[in-house]
Amino acid sequence: MDRHDGFREFVLARQQALMRTAYLLVGDAHLAEDLLQSVLVKIAGKWPGLARDGNPKAYTRRALVNQYISWRRRPRPEAPSADPPEHGVSHDEETLDRIMLRQALAKLTRKQRAVIVLRFWEDLTEAQTAEALGCSVGNVKSQTHHALARLRALAPELAGPDSLSDLQEVAR
Amino acid sequence: MTRLRRALNGIAEEAPMVDLADLALAGHRRRRRVTALLAAATVATMVAGATTATVTSIRSHGVAAAWRTEAAAAPLRSHDAAATPQTEAAVPDLPGGRVGPLAYAYRTPCDVDRERKTIDCAAVEWRVVTRAGTTYRLPQALALNDQERRVPVAISRDGRMLAYYSRQAQAHVVRDLVDGSQVTSPVTVKEERIGIGSMLVVSDDGRHVVFDPREGSKEPGLLIDMRTGKTVRIPGEYEPVSIKDGIAELVRYVKTDLWLMPVTGGGRPVRFAGAYITFSELAPDGRTVAAAEMKDLQKQKLSLLDTAGGRAPRKVAVRGLPEKAGVIATGPWRSGSELTLFALHGKGTHVYSVDIGTGRARRLADYPPGKPGGFLVLPGVASG
Repeated sequence: MDRHDGFREFVLARQQALMRTAYLLVGDAHLAEDLLQSVLVKIAGKWPGLARDGNPKAYTRRALVNQYISWRRRPRPEAPSADPPEHGVSHDEETLDRIMLRQALAKLTRKQRAVIVLRFWEDLTEAQTAEALGCSVGNVKSQTHHALARLRALAPELAGPDSLSDLQEVAR
Repeated sequence: MTRLRRALNGIAEEAPMVDLADLALAGHRRRRRVTALLAAATVATMVAGATTATVTSIRSHGVAAAWRTEAAAAPLRSHDAAATPQTEAAVPDLPGGRVGPLAYAYRTPCDVDRERKTIDCAAVEWRVVTRAGTTYRLPQALALNDQERRVPVAISRDGRMLAYYSRQAQAHVVRDLVDGSQVTSPVTVKEERIGIGSMLVVSDDGRHVVFDPREGSKEPGLLIDMRTGKTVRIPGEYEPVSIKDGIAELVRYVKTDLWLMPVTGGGRPVRFAGAYITFSELAPDGRTVAAAEMKDLQKQKLSLLDTAGGRAPRKVAVRGLPEKAGVIATGPWRSGSELTLFALHGKGTHVYSVDIGTGRARRLADYPPGKPGGFLVLPGVASG
């Protein structure tokens, strides 16, 4: 039995969900993988303690979000090989929503983006989001309010009548 | 579910599959080694009577440097062809692990002895150049087979994936230059099958390659799923252009049929009136491709073709290229309105970004002049 077996099992079980969160946070597959990998390297070092008396799932999510917020922004110079800009291959409403949301998320601050991902993708409560971000519940409320206002301004179609009422409900 | 949640779900579903457990453990071990070395350095420095401030400085810089090069991966420095010139003898083999995305690959030319009128191709090999400017030999990639047919390599659109044919494995190999992983195709392809003008394309995630054993022949091609070994047979008269977002773009020239084939097979070709070449990958709008009509090539005009068949082709006169520049290929779309274009003029190959609305071309990068007979492979451009 390898002493890293527990860590391996945890990563195998959780890596795809964590990768999706990382991808929503950074919006680029390669950067998301870098971000997640750098966090998992740290988690590997802390694993014995975490496995014994911690909550690895919550700790890793917290580490991921905080690493993202504090991550030094890397330069993205022009290169002859452009990254795939959009993934849509059809013009249906859902594809357009995704394109719009990608563009809108890119214009949020990192903390606002993290709040949107944690509240609306991870479905965390305000208290859980505050715990993950290491800030107060009040701060989560104000960040959510500002992020949603920005999203409504940037992607009004996404905040249509149905979405708007739901968003307001969740924001409360 | 709100539209916001649905859109978030949709984006999240686009996240690629990853397998990070062993990579994370390897990174953790490297970190421990660096820390141990630094701890030893700290002790040595203290013994030597150095100041604490110096030790702190060494420690922070040492860790940061090791972290950037070994764990964080994906250096994004712009490719500079003139960076770090290397002598022939000093070109090292491509090391295992992470080397960073590639700017291009090239095949070394045969040695031509003009006096004896002989050509020696024994030393022909593939080399790759990273975006950081370092050149590596690629001895594991077959460059010429026994019939002296050229064997292609391919680079994904973002420079991350390198596909090549391994003589040892008698199969294609895809190497991820950013995380260092490597996958050998479960589908063996006999070396003798590689004929004149063989072509290769690799997808951005490295999962799919299209191998065309002989350009423009009836010899069928293969789309290979590197993970499962499943293959989709491609009629020989079609040539691969790209694999993007699960769609393999295939072209039959002369009659100009364009086939957007899902990687699992299916789809139907669309016919365009006219003889088009230099097809681009599918634009972000999911329906437009750029190509040049043969008669327009000298005039530096591109045509925007609607694969959905609803719109007539639109011509775009490219402005800003030197008068004698020859357009050799179109590359990845940089956005919904900007397309990369490769042109030959002066002493080398040059990359431009073309605004397809205005036709204005902006020079992005230059590739060094190749030796005669050498061969350049660019990211996102079908190689053959």
